[in-house]
Amino acid sequence: MGVTVLQQFPVPENKTGTYVIEMLSKRILALGATQQGQFLVDCESYLSHPQMGTTKTVHILHNSEQPASVFSILESGNKNIHVIADGLFDLFMIKLSQHYTSKKQTKIESKGPRFELGDFCIKLGSVTMNQSFKGILIEVEYRPCVTANAVWGLLREFLQGLLGSSTVIQPPQHLKNRMSEIYTPIDTVHQYLELFSAYRKTTALRVQ
Amino acid sequence: MSAANAAPITATDSLTQALKANIIPNQEYLLQGSVLDSAVEVLLHRLRGLCDNVDAGPETFDDQEVCFSLRDPNQQAAPLMLRVRKALDARDMPFQLRYIGQPDLGDKNRPTVVRSSLDIACSGMLIEFLNELGCRIEFEYSVKGYMFRKGRMKITVAKVFKISQSAMPPEPISQSYLVELSVLAPTGQDAIAEDMRAFADQLRPLVQLDKIDYKRLGHMPS
Repeated sequence: MGVTVLQQFPVPENKTGTYVIEMLSKRILALGATQQGQFLVDCESYLSHPQMGTTKTVHILHNSEQPASVFSILESGNKNIHVIADGLFDLFMIKLSQHYTSKKQTKIESKGPRFELGDFCIKLGSVTMNQSFKGILIEVEYRPCVTANAVWGLLREFLQGLLGSSTVIQPPQHLKNRMSEIYTPIDTVHQYLELFSAYRKTTALRVQ
Repeated sequence: MSAANAAPITATDSLTQALKANIIPNQEYLLQGSVLDSAVEVLLHRLRGLCDNVDAGPETFDDQEVCFSLRDPNQQAAPLMLRVRKALDARDMPFQLRYIGQPDLGDKNRPTVVRSSLDIACSGMLIEFLNELGCRIEFEYSVKGYMFRKGRMKITVAKVFKISQSAMPPEPISQSYLVELSVLAPTGQDAIAEDMRAFADQLRPLVQLDKIDYKRLGHMPS
């Protein structure tokens, strides 16, 4: 487990998501990477029953990189509390169905090819919500290191090399206050949730 | 190459498969009893003779359990009961979150209590998570004792203590040890209940393991 940065990649006008994934795959393969399977990160959110007072949201995420774990993040006001559990936590959510109901229409996932290049692991994900395409997320992990500040320069340089030097690369919001802490898989999950939530909001705006 | 690069199966799909194949242990078969402090050594000696893990001696445990309830928002169903256990003697172990359903005692031909059960290993801020989720703490206690195994059966002989608020040693709730014989199994494996009854018979008369009806205990004069 190393340090991971998740970055949005804008899809150019008149181009499809598939085209962008293919283009980036070619670039990564040209650098000497090998494809090592596919990956999948998904997120389903549950809202508390109106009679329980202030609305709370439980986000349940799975990451194929940690296939035996279920990541759960409870959003309550401005607090985020997470629990990492084994696979049966999904059944526990069914037991809670009287209290928390799934917003099925906002089930969102990012999936695509996974590459390895020396100490780096790169994942190109196309994000879909309800089968409709939302955008591209690029995940880059530098595996030998566990604190973000020690490796941030290297990750930024790698991403700029891959995405073009004009791309501005900022540390993700979630990592900004944790640059010197030990990085764990839940930090990757928090980054996905931040960007998934942003995608869900853009949909709402478009509908309006 | 193409097989290795196949899309990973989603968590929902793998859970559905596990449910269909009926491999998820979601039923607990349970027998309970108690033995006086003065008689516990004899029982432990007997268990050492009967159980599997005898070479290394009995395994000890010291757990704290907190019981939470989550009220039904429509006020129609009984509150959901959840239990969180953490090992006081192995602090880096994950928390155990447990959902336990209503016990089904069945008729007198059924050898054990059967109740639905979900055991989930959790890390992180589980207590805080449950509090924010809307759960309320009902009670807590600590339980310290010995664990034995016999095949798939688990036997615990343990003493229940009140949680001490000060540096004083915890105060035992009674002058006896709680003895539990349990198996977690997928739905429909009723044959195990017969094995449990046979094993419980071997422990008589040192301890009488029975189907305990909590509803009746609740109405007993104190």
